[in-house]
Amino acid sequence: MENMANKVARIPDLVDWSTGEVRLMSAKCNSCGTYFFPREHYQHRPGCSREGVENVLLPVKGKLASYTIQYYPCPPPFKTEKKITPYGIGLVEFEQEKIQVAGIITDTDLDSLEIGMEMETTTLTMFTNDEKQQVVTWAFAAVK
Amino acid sequence: MRDVYIVGTGIHPWMGFSEQVFADFAAVAVDGALKDANVEWHKIQSIMAGIFIYGGNAGHLSGQYLESIFGETGIPVVNVYNACATGSAAIRMAYNSVAAGETDTALAFGADVSPKGFLTAKSDNAVQDRDVIRWKMGGMPNPIYWALECRKRMAKYDTTEEDLALVKVLMSEYGAKNPHARFKKTYSVEEVLNSVYVCDPLRLYEICPVSTGAAAVIVTADRELIDKADHPVKINATTMGSAMYGDPTIRISALSCPSVPEAPMLSESYSASRQAYEKSGIGPEDIDVLELPDNSSWHYLVYLETCGFCKEGEADRMLRDGLTRIGGKLPVNPSGGFSSHGEALSAQALWQVIECANQLRGRCGDRQVEGAKVAMAQTYGLMGNSGTTIMSI
Ligand SMILES: [Zn+2]
Repeated sequence: MENMANKVARIPDLVDWSTGEVRLMSAKCNSCGTYFFPREHYQHRPGCSREGVENVLLPVKGKLASYTIQYYPCPPPFKTEKKITPYGIGLVEFEQEKIQVAGIITDTDLDSLEIGMEMETTTLTMFTNDEKQQVVTWAFAAVK
Repeated sequence: MRDVYIVGTGIHPWMGFSEQVFADFAAVAVDGALKDANVEWHKIQSIMAGIFIYGGNAGHLSGQYLESIFGETGIPVVNVYNACATGSAAIRMAYNSVAAGETDTALAFGADVSPKGFLTAKSDNAVQDRDVIRWKMGGMPNPIYWALECRKRMAKYDTTEEDLALVKVLMSEYGAKNPHARFKKTYSVEEVLNSVYVCDPLRLYEICPVSTGAAAVIVTADRELIDKADHPVKINATTMGSAMYGDPTIRISALSCPSVPEAPMLSESYSASRQAYEKSGIGPEDIDVLELPDNSSWHYLVYLETCGFCKEGEADRMLRDGLTRIGGKLPVNPSGGFSSHGEALSAQALWQVIECANQLRGRCGDRQVEGAKVAMAQTYGLMGNSGTTIMSI
């Protein structure tokens, strides 16, 4: 694995790599069983007591539920040092958690994309900040 | 509740970016509505205004700004925002005020000036506003959301790229005949299929852009105004819906969605349309003309299913068999749709209502649906906003 110590997420509390694996930072409601991503995107089942919401990490791997290829640069505040278009956006399903999460597809041949294929969570470096840290977002890559 | 009629409508034709201020566009639409209804300004007893989100203080208080142009009379003025269903919220409040007897005559309007450049996040607080996350971390402009859903649809049903192109072909044919439309060029299936992908499988001509436009509707229960109006249009129901838990659709600005559906797709629109059917006693089979929100070709197809005009996965067949053409069983978007107009956020829902009213009033010339008696306008706004208006003559 690359030197994760020199990486920083552009927005905190979304993606974690402290365990050595890259995982999305979700929250689970222990009353209604719903998983949220991002954590603050509460979507409780109507009537839920909303008690016992705990922070959890999603599994590393999931299945590609849908995808698209974006051919134009995303306007600001999105920002990347290098040109990344065309880039894939995937909707990756975490079956046990009953949630699909969207993210940029990286390190994957876009022609090989297929619904149902196994994907893993990773990071994508968008740019380097003034402190010489790599500023990253979460991303998905085909499992090799 | 009293019967409520549309007696006057006004539109400022849709166009691209303008240096003119939104209130100027609003005034054109309101002036048109007053003239159409042949009513004096002092007859307006309340104003329900769609706000213009890029207009700062003036835009957020658009009703007050509009009122001051025509002359302040002290009436209730309420400003609303429900994303692209803002106009639905405005007409629903106008309708409710009149139907309940609070006022006899109400004005609903919306005006929007296309922002210069791109739509993007409106705050910088990622915890409070997850729109910030999708722009900074996700790289996901709006059409991405539609493309993700469209791909799912194509995998589940037999929707083809030709179907998506055919939607644009039809919309361009009708838009060319609509004086209010911004885009008047007609396209062939080949031309659409030769346009570039914006986000695969959606192409440039299969996605609507943002536009400038304004629309105003005057509703009344005042017998005198109804009697002197040209073909008053009865509002049978005008409703709003929000999303339902377990809706599998990935909503614009969200980063996740449920993987196990416990509610219909686009549940906000499912909800709004079912409320309207129940309130009006009118069902999908009774509708003679439908205006639906074709933000992309995918929307055109899925909305026929969401609103119960066919079963899931059958919309493509309706399109291919010509059932949705003018002259078909259910003419859809004889206006040319958003495809020919573009979105003018707070105005577009009212514009849809006006297009329907114009059909019922027999004012649509080359794109007239002959003998239309019942019409439905269906909207779609981001993050769980939708409205349905059913009208008849
Ligand atoms: Zn809960």
